[in-house]
Amino acid sequence: MSRFRIPGKGRVDHAAPVSFTFDGKTYRGLRGDTVASALLANGVHLMGRSFKYHRPRGAVSAGSEEPNALIGTSRGAGRFEPNTRATVQELRAGLVTESQNKWPSLSFDIGAVNDRAYMLFSAGFYYKTFMWPKSFWDKIYEPVIRGAAGLGKSPTEADPDHYASRYLHTDVLVIGAGPAGIAAALAAAQSGADVTLVDENPEMGGSLLSDPAVQIDGRPAWDWVDAQLGRLRAAGVRLMTRTTAIGYYHQNMVGLCQRLTDHLDTPPKGAPRERMWRVRAGQVVLAQGALEKPLVFDGNDRPGVMLAGAAQTYLHKYGVKVGDTPAVITSHDSAYYAAFDLADSGARVAAIIDTRDAVRPDLLDGARLRGIEVLSGHTVTTTRGRLRVKSVRAAPMRGTHVGTGRDIACDCLLMSGGWTPSLHLFSHTKGSLAWDGQTFLPDRKTEACEIAGAGRGLWGYADVLADGAAAGLRALEGLGRAGHPAGFRVANDRPGTGASHTELPTDGNPGKARAFIDFQNDVTAKDIRLAVREGMRSIEHVKRYTTNGMATDQGKMSNINGLMIAADALGKQPPQVGLTTFRPPYTPTSFGAFCGYLRGETFQLTRKTPIDGWAEANGAVFEPVAQWRRAWYFPRAGEDMHAAVLRECKATRASLGIFDASTLGKIEVAGPDAVEFMNRMYTNPWTKLAPGRCRYGLLLGEDGFIRDDGVIGRLSPDLFHVTTTTGGAARVLTMMEDYLQTEWPELDVWLTSTTEQWATVALNGPNALAMLKPLVQGVNWDDFPHMSCAECTVAGLPARLFRLSFTGEVGFEVNVPARHGLTLWTALMEAGKPYDITPYGTETMHVLRAEKGYIIVGQDTDGTVTPADAGLDWAVGKAKKDFVGKRSLSRPDIVAKGRKQLVGLLTEDGSLLQEGAQIVLDPDQPKPMKMVGHVTSSYHSTLGHPIAMAVIEGGFDRMGETVFIPMPDGVRKARVTSTVFYDPDNTRLKA
Amino acid sequence: MTYEKHHFAAALAVVEDLAPALRLSLRVKPAHSATLGQALGLDLPTRVGARVAAGGTEALCLGPDEWLLTAPEGTDLATPARAVYADAPHSLVDISDREISLRLSGPAVLDLLAACCPRNVAAMPVGTAARTVFDSATVILWRDGPADFRMDIWRSFAPHVRALLAQVQGELAAGL
Repeated sequence: MSRFRIPGKGRVDHAAPVSFTFDGKTYRGLRGDTVASALLANGVHLMGRSFKYHRPRGAVSAGSEEPNALIGTSRGAGRFEPNTRATVQELRAGLVTESQNKWPSLSFDIGAVNDRAYMLFSAGFYYKTFMWPKSFWDKIYEPVIRGAAGLGKSPTEADPDHYASRYLHTDVLVIGAGPAGIAAALAAAQSGADVTLVDENPEMGGSLLSDPAVQIDGRPAWDWVDAQLGRLRAAGVRLMTRTTAIGYYHQNMVGLCQRLTDHLDTPPKGAPRERMWRVRAGQVVLAQGALEKPLVFDGNDRPGVMLAGAAQTYLHKYGVKVGDTPAVITSHDSAYYAAFDLADSGARVAAIIDTRDAVRPDLLDGARLRGIEVLSGHTVTTTRGRLRVKSVRAAPMRGTHVGTGRDIACDCLLMSGGWTPSLHLFSHTKGSLAWDGQTFLPDRKTEACEIAGAGRGLWGYADVLADGAAAGLRALEGLGRAGHPAGFRVANDRPGTGASHTELPTDGNPGKARAFIDFQNDVTAKDIRLAVREGMRSIEHVKRYTTNGMATDQGKMSNINGLMIAADALGKQPPQVGLTTFRPPYTPTSFGAFCGYLRGETFQLTRKTPIDGWAEANGAVFEPVAQWRRAWYFPRAGEDMHAAVLRECKATRASLGIFDASTLGKIEVAGPDAVEFMNRMYTNPWTKLAPGRCRYGLLLGEDGFIRDDGVIGRLSPDLFHVTTTTGGAARVLTMMEDYLQTEWPELDVWLTSTTEQWATVALNGPNALAMLKPLVQGVNWDDFPHMSCAECTVAGLPARLFRLSFTGEVGFEVNVPARHGLTLWTALMEAGKPYDITPYGTETMHVLRAEKGYIIVGQDTDGTVTPADAGLDWAVGKAKKDFVGKRSLSRPDIVAKGRKQLVGLLTEDGSLLQEGAQIVLDPDQPKPMKMVGHVTSSYHSTLGHPIAMAVIEGGFDRMGETVFIPMPDGVRKARVTSTVFYDPDNTRLKA
Repeated sequence: MTYEKHHFAAALAVVEDLAPALRLSLRVKPAHSATLGQALGLDLPTRVGARVAAGGTEALCLGPDEWLLTAPEGTDLATPARAVYADAPHSLVDISDREISLRLSGPAVLDLLAACCPRNVAAMPVGTAARTVFDSATVILWRDGPADFRMDIWRSFAPHVRALLAQVQGELAAGL
């Protein structure tokens, strides 16, 4: 039995010991313990070193607001986590834990030298101390500060766990399962509404678990909780423990992080570690309770100094006495109950020091009964003890005058500065707050939510239960339902009030007081006052200058104390100074929970064609194109990319290449007004395009710039088979639908995406026709010239056959229903054997099209290129009275001279240019040089030398001129040419 | 209809491939929808999400002028539609191969769907369908029974959806 564990007491399982290690030493705790409660049971208060001063620290709280007891935890290989709150992490067999921010050991830490030099590390110290000499900043100061900064070690291994996500729709979401939340859920559940009750702790019951002597409706608190949870379960209420509401977003969307396995000795195989819930709630009831405030005095951070409520929780939930001789310093009635309960459990309470002059008579009676000395109207001026508090100095005070103090020996000091309503989630909604003279309370709401209990400043179980029930009823009414009000009879209630303070008055030098406000970031009261003296007026500036409230606990304990002190220093009321904004997540949340399924195989949606599997099996290297993965090239043994692409290019030019073009966007434009629609959308004229023929189509935006292009076939008078670029498919369809629905609703034409209906295989090369012909039925080859299309069969499969070319060779695109894509591909591969058919990927496609000067929208165009700029004037129907973008083509700046125009480039030294490289006319001009354009495409080619395309100002008038491309390794010279490098007369297409 | 089953330890949520079926996208202005319906032998529903079935053909209303028609493979709906084209101009596009369909069923099927579908699937009446998303993929979700759904997924999105479904099935089997 551990020294500080009270046999049989608490909610832990005394028959179930659990072993764990802390800094290499093995300890025994009990099932149901947290790491903190188990260490405290073993008399260990020292759990870590503070962030800046490396001061020894122990657990100050018993919950998720803990700023001090941050430890490294390891749950096995790859499962190390820094900055775990020891007060939250439940024990599990074999858990390995370690303290942080110490070297060489927790009890003897070199970094604690910072503490001696604390006068150097005041607020904003790095702005001041490390200013001179300036050159030291980059090389010395910053690296040293960075090395020293940060808390805990980052994990170095990939997280082997997986994380889940779930959406939930519920009528009423109650956040917090203390008395108010349980009462609210009971009220809401009575009408058959779908109710969800969540709590961040392993057990529901909230403060009642720390107050077992309270009786509700004649039952002890714990029995009452069990019974109510049973009722809720029977009513179908969803009860979720270990579930933290991390954020409250628009329209009652609440994020919940549920921890599923961290507490289990052996998690079930395949179980996710955590699950992120995205909840859409009709009504939300916030019943998160209140957080106890520390008092601010010199030495309030020594191990053994903790919140009084935390001591009460350790006692009742875990059966742990945090010390044998606790002293209490309080400004709130609630700490008396903690003292009484500890005394009743065998502790000798050294004294209750109360800052208030008048103490409630029943509390004084309770103290007298237990032989506890009460020092009312007293302050605490300091504490002593190195790794553990050993005495506290109490002194009488009158106003700010402090009398002679005396040291009171103790082994722990319980403090209570009153309670701050937990406003975090309410603040996420941008609800406004009201100042009641002591604290902020929720005021105007922006969401359909109710706030109940201590979360809105109430105290005492009777009030809180009634308030929770009323909130539950109001939530029901908000849903248009009704219920009956419930009443609760409470005996042994523990009501209370308190006073609010800045730093406690002291007779010491306030400039030397180590009176901490923000324990996690090591911010003291004098830092706040210094910030104000140095000109910070807004609490937001004070916060950033001092880092108060900027640690991962988001100032759960420190914000209000910091504000009170800043307001005092400024001589203003706290509301005039303001409260900093709370932001999600409420408590630190793992990246894994946010990622959910979006990692590994399902990191991002990747679209694959029906032929993708063949490509993979045949060694393709893939590249991402929009959401697709496409075969980039097919290297053979020993080939690098350059060799593979050159081989693929040459094989296609020499005989026959095959290419998976399934990703091309396809849109069926159908209806009596199809041709009219096409005339309005595309620059080209369509009326005279006969069924069975194709045309290159160019699509502009209203601004006259090229948006997309593709070959379009007219299959019948009322039916066009439109193709788009791979990346443009969705955008083009959306743009078309937009025009159709908003501009031309009178047209009888409809658009259907058929991208995925068809698998598309492109065949190119001088032998394409010879190879394909025997496989095709239903095409009249005497009337099937370049730019024709037909519905037919290919290799026995229903097909749409297009004769077109994106390579400059004779080319076809065979479309078959997607399920037959692979069948078609393998049939063509078989039939192509006599012609040494060569599969090629997107890189070869790019090279071959570039040799012919065919543009790729989005590569050779950038959203500022007109048809004329791209040399595509021929594709614009001059006689057409309108099309999208037509008016813009006559704008003065569009017809002006000197626009960037698409030209070819051949380097003088035969080197390959870099895509994106900038072009200048005079390489000797002073910097910054005038850049006249850039390289858009650049490839090794089949022509024996690299080729490039570029946009250059006035490029069409510079044919034959030399331009310069300055690169890091020297200036390249290039000659401006036509973009058509290969077969300019298109003789090969006519074969 | 079912021709392939994926086996998992627990039958909490079962994912099965459905055999291909005829799927047509019908677009027609509301004024002419009755004519089309007559030609096809069913009353085209007018409420988005509603389904009407007759003679093996089922029509799902996806928008004021958009219906998804499904029928056994080989059914000829094009001919009767073409017969009324002059009176009721429309577009009828074969999209049988555009999507693949899965059947999702089992006692935990709502959890399976809730993993990646932000819609309140539990509130969908049986006998309706909806165009929605599953993670980042657009899908059409059909509710055929309290714990019986079909999901139409664009073919290239299917591997992603399947991989997600498998992960969630594993999670359900683990019981957490």
